[in-house]
Amino acid sequence: MAAPCSRMIVGRPWWHFIIPTVSKTGPNQIWFRKLSNAVQTRSQSDRVASPWTLHGAVCLQRLPVISQERNPIEGQFAELLHRMELERSLLSEHEQRLLEDKERMARKQAEDYDSDEEAEYGDQETITAQDQEDAWEQKRKQFQLAQRFRDLDGDQQSVQRCLGDSLVLLAQQSLGPGKVWLLPQVPWQPGETLRQTAERALSSLPEADFKATFLGNAPCGVYQYKLPKSVRTESCQGSKVFFFKALLSGRPSTSQNGPFLWVRKSELPDYLKPAYLEKVNRFILDL
Amino acid sequence: MTPIFCKLQASFALSRALDQAALLLRSSVSVQLIQGRLSFANERQYRTMPTHGIGRYKHLLPKEAPKKKKERLLMKQVKLATDTEYGTLNVKVSGYDMVLVEHYSQYIHNLCNRLGVKVADSYALPTKTMEVMVMPEQGTKMYVDAILKTHERIVQLGQLKATLGSIFMEVLLKNQPEGVQLSVNHHTEADYLERFKARPELTGLMAQIN
Repeated sequence: MAAPCSRMIVGRPWWHFIIPTVSKTGPNQIWFRKLSNAVQTRSQSDRVASPWTLHGAVCLQRLPVISQERNPIEGQFAELLHRMELERSLLSEHEQRLLEDKERMARKQAEDYDSDEEAEYGDQETITAQDQEDAWEQKRKQFQLAQRFRDLDGDQQSVQRCLGDSLVLLAQQSLGPGKVWLLPQVPWQPGETLRQTAERALSSLPEADFKATFLGNAPCGVYQYKLPKSVRTESCQGSKVFFFKALLSGRPSTSQNGPFLWVRKSELPDYLKPAYLEKVNRFILDL
Repeated sequence: MTPIFCKLQASFALSRALDQAALLLRSSVSVQLIQGRLSFANERQYRTMPTHGIGRYKHLLPKEAPKKKKERLLMKQVKLATDTEYGTLNVKVSGYDMVLVEHYSQYIHNLCNRLGVKVADSYALPTKTMEVMVMPEQGTKMYVDAILKTHERIVQLGQLKATLGSIFMEVLLKNQPEGVQLSVNHHTEADYLERFKARPELTGLMAQIN
């Protein structure tokens, strides 16, 4: 769980690309200056002549709303534990009251009943424990439990599907010739931090307004690809995409008809390209 | 040998007789016969005796520091945030169902142990009881409908690295059970003082002094 992200950043040779790690605000230039002098000259030369275009992408996740379904084994074990606990437990106050009331009723029905012998009367005459239990039972019947499984589970466009799992947003964007399903991304513009690029990617999605909280200032993953040889030029060999994680916050509005999909991690291979999927899988947690 | 033995026996008998006589007379007994060099168990040997100090052992034990009086509990230092680490954080888990709240706080604690995050403290705040009163349409008197108890558990984290922080939060949020609220705050002295019970007599006396 913790392994993917830290291995991501530490495992790569850090001079290969500069990742903005912990500084909160400020343009890219300040981060470069904070690094050691040995790197400075190289970083400046990189900035000037880097053949890679940078993109910022956002991995927007909807957290699970309810707990996951239990396996058959888990269900059986839970039931077994519950039964054992019940058999070993002591009577609660309410159950004791029920027993006392029953005894009292039995004594009342007996022929030689003398009400003066009764130890405690009080106001237990008026409402017995059994009456209370019946009243509670009535109330419970009026309460409707929401369903775990809904018909929306099949509709991959709706945010409300699969309440037990966490969902990732996929958008269809045009890269090069055709349209491709991927995590929403937008090219980086000089003068903004990569996190701001990711925020822009989220807000610039057509026909949708998602309110999200970003987790941390550091990217959680990176994917780089080289352009096909026909399109490759001197200044543009390929591009690197930095992913940022965000969590969907607040109630999503139901009016989203754009080219979006909310998919679980297991459904990602249906939509993403293999090399891309390999990098993305490393930071999407499926717990 | 035998005359001494006889003397010993005689002295034994004599001492016992004297003892009983003393008891009868109700006076304190301390008999020591110089000839037989006998004494009772509650008498210590004189320093010239070869077996003087035969039972001593305390001088063989390692020296113990003198026992201090229990000091007043001082608050642990609240760590401040540095550039790469968060300061002392309080992860508060609260809810109505105690089983869920306890299990979730245990899960957080175990997760921290696994990830190598130092857990400074793990404690519970007092339970808050709420009574839900319902007023029926016809009558005026309210009666108790339900009693809701809010349980709170706090896991105090030491040094949480900033790189780990976002992953940690994500894992926590993904595994949060229903009906349990999670909140993460910086630890302050006010949080620490909240755990103590109010002492009305002390506050009264202090007010009188001032």
